[in-house]
Amino acid sequence: MTNRLRKAAAIALGVALATSTAGAAEGGIPYRKAADMLHLVMSAARTVYARMVVQRLTVDEEVITASEHFDDDLALPLPAQMFRFTAEAVSDSSEELSYSLLSLNPINKKNGPGTDAEQQGLEHVADDPDENFYAEEELGGQRYFTAVYADVAVAEACVNCHNYHKDSPRSDFEVGDVMGAVVIRIPMDE
Amino acid sequence: MSRKAWIWVLWAAATIGACWMLAAWMLVAGDRRPFLIGETTDAHHQFEIACETCHAAPAFADAAKAEKALNKACRTCHDKELRAADDSHSTKRFRSPRMAAFREKLDARFCTSCHVEHRPEITRASAVSVAMDFCVACHSEGEQDVRKNRPSHAGLGFDTCASSGCHNYHDNRALYEDFLVKHAHAEWLALSPAHALAARQRSRAPAPAPEAALGRDDAAAPTAALGSAATVDDWAGSGHAAAGVNCAACHAPGAPGNASLSGIEPHWTDHPGTAACEDCHRPQARTFVLGRHGMRRHPRIAKPRDPAKELEALGLGDWLPEGLLAALEDPSPPARMAVHEARLPMRAEAAHRLLDCGSCHRPHAVDTAFAAVEACTSCHDDRHTRAYVGSPHHQLWLAELAGEAKPGTGVSCATCHMAKFKRRGLVVTNHNQNDILRPSEKMIRPVCLDCHGLRFALDALADPDLVERNFDGPPTVKVKSIDWAVRRAAAGEPEAGK
Repeated sequence: MTNRLRKAAAIALGVALATSTAGAAEGGIPYRKAADMLHLVMSAARTVYARMVVQRLTVDEEVITASEHFDDDLALPLPAQMFRFTAEAVSDSSEELSYSLLSLNPINKKNGPGTDAEQQGLEHVADDPDENFYAEEELGGQRYFTAVYADVAVAEACVNCHNYHKDSPRSDFEVGDVMGAVVIRIPMDE
Repeated sequence: MSRKAWIWVLWAAATIGACWMLAAWMLVAGDRRPFLIGETTDAHHQFEIACETCHAAPAFADAAKAEKALNKACRTCHDKELRAADDSHSTKRFRSPRMAAFREKLDARFCTSCHVEHRPEITRASAVSVAMDFCVACHSEGEQDVRKNRPSHAGLGFDTCASSGCHNYHDNRALYEDFLVKHAHAEWLALSPAHALAARQRSRAPAPAPEAALGRDDAAAPTAALGSAATVDDWAGSGHAAAGVNCAACHAPGAPGNASLSGIEPHWTDHPGTAACEDCHRPQARTFVLGRHGMRRHPRIAKPRDPAKELEALGLGDWLPEGLLAALEDPSPPARMAVHEARLPMRAEAAHRLLDCGSCHRPHAVDTAFAAVEACTSCHDDRHTRAYVGSPHHQLWLAELAGEAKPGTGVSCATCHMAKFKRRGLVVTNHNQNDILRPSEKMIRPVCLDCHGLRFALDALADPDLVERNFDGPPTVKVKSIDWAVRRAAAGEPEAGK
């Protein structure tokens, strides 16, 4: 696991440098490849947090809980919240990359599809989780390369939370189902 | 040249000269208050003379840069409180490209979209200048339509979201749905109502160092400066004397720690500044400069401009002669707030007072009980303050002072307006008395809930007349949010079709 983490960190650093200094048009990493590699890092980090922190401490060791209201409950942030916090932290440092966790059945309505590409991408990966979705779109006067990756329920905890949350529009998720998607956007060079 | 031509030449020269003078006044140095395009909001008026505090972009910067600098300046002072509030609409959430459509309706990346300065005619409490129904911009269409997701909200006007005690734009820590449900059934008054942190602070045992304690005979000050016996008695009975803090600690801070009287004298000052307090009371000092009492000492208020540097920045180098440069001068904001400058009703006899630590803490007695009530009522003269005297909260305070009630059960002005917090295991009083007033629902968690149920607190704070009367009876306003949240939770699911 440690080697995998190191590898993931090295890829993240390389991708960040490559995408910040050179677009595909200048012979840098192609947008699709850059997005795929970024997703690899995000996915690895999320899995590591879910298994090595949340699963271990809440289920295996039972020393703390994980909660949506982690501040009030003195608990761990949920893996999905952790993912959003890192996305917001990235937005504090750079406009070269943005990403989000969306769903066709979001607990919070603001995490539903908001653009045509998001709608198509979410439907696409829901139908075929192994087939990523790529598109170009213009938002706020800027052209973006948008990549959508299926987000699959990997543990009972994910399924239970979404099935029993009062704001969830769907209550029949099972482990292995596509619950949503990671959407990555990279601004394209003119 | 004809007389007419001379007049034209003189007129042109006078016009050019006047323009140069105006430009120099605006861009180089001078009191710019005549250029204010409208009255500044409460609090900001204290440093309106230091324009660069907010208008931080260089002269002639383009509009986008100027706006960015302006908004960055807002965050300089307000960022910490927004982060502490777990900001429900943090600017970073609106940076995402997917929020572009929402930004076209209301660009929430910028503070200035809702808080425009110098526009008193459209500005409401908390310096909000956007129309009251601003929520309509993002929560009235498609999946975001709140009426679609909350049938209970059908028919409610968007101008009532933030004005009914239900929602705040930034701070919803006491208003979010699960919190409402969790506290829905609490009685209006706890079985043993007491403010936990105040109780801990006021029941603290004396410092375990009696050998360091000083008495009135230990007062070490030059004879001429020793003052009246009452002053010495005040000090001898204070926490300072109990902790071994002698006169020189404040009056001769430059003297060596164990200096004799003759060693103290060269460093002696009769009127030590607030720096003497700040040396030991740093958390209090840090929060003091964030509130209206002490913000004139805030380190990020822009310093007066240096005319030579301003000319350099404009590419004019040393164009002005030294003599003229020396004549130009930016006025500095006064170092302390004066009571007569306040925009709240104040007592006429207090108008001349200047605010620093000693204004509320009588410097020798350092009596916190005085600072918690009498110091406030000796200046403030609004209905809420006047109604405090004799109110149920005041009765509890008097009972605690008299030793008839347990520590923490009394409710002083400071109990509600200067909430205590824990820092490194110690209880510290927040000296920013505005921190939990913007809006008043911020007061619920750190103060009200120690004694009262959430429903009672929400109703009471939403009842403006009751607030004015200083809570002399039950609230007449009923905030519906708890009932609606409980109903949803009982149903166990979304109100609209699952």
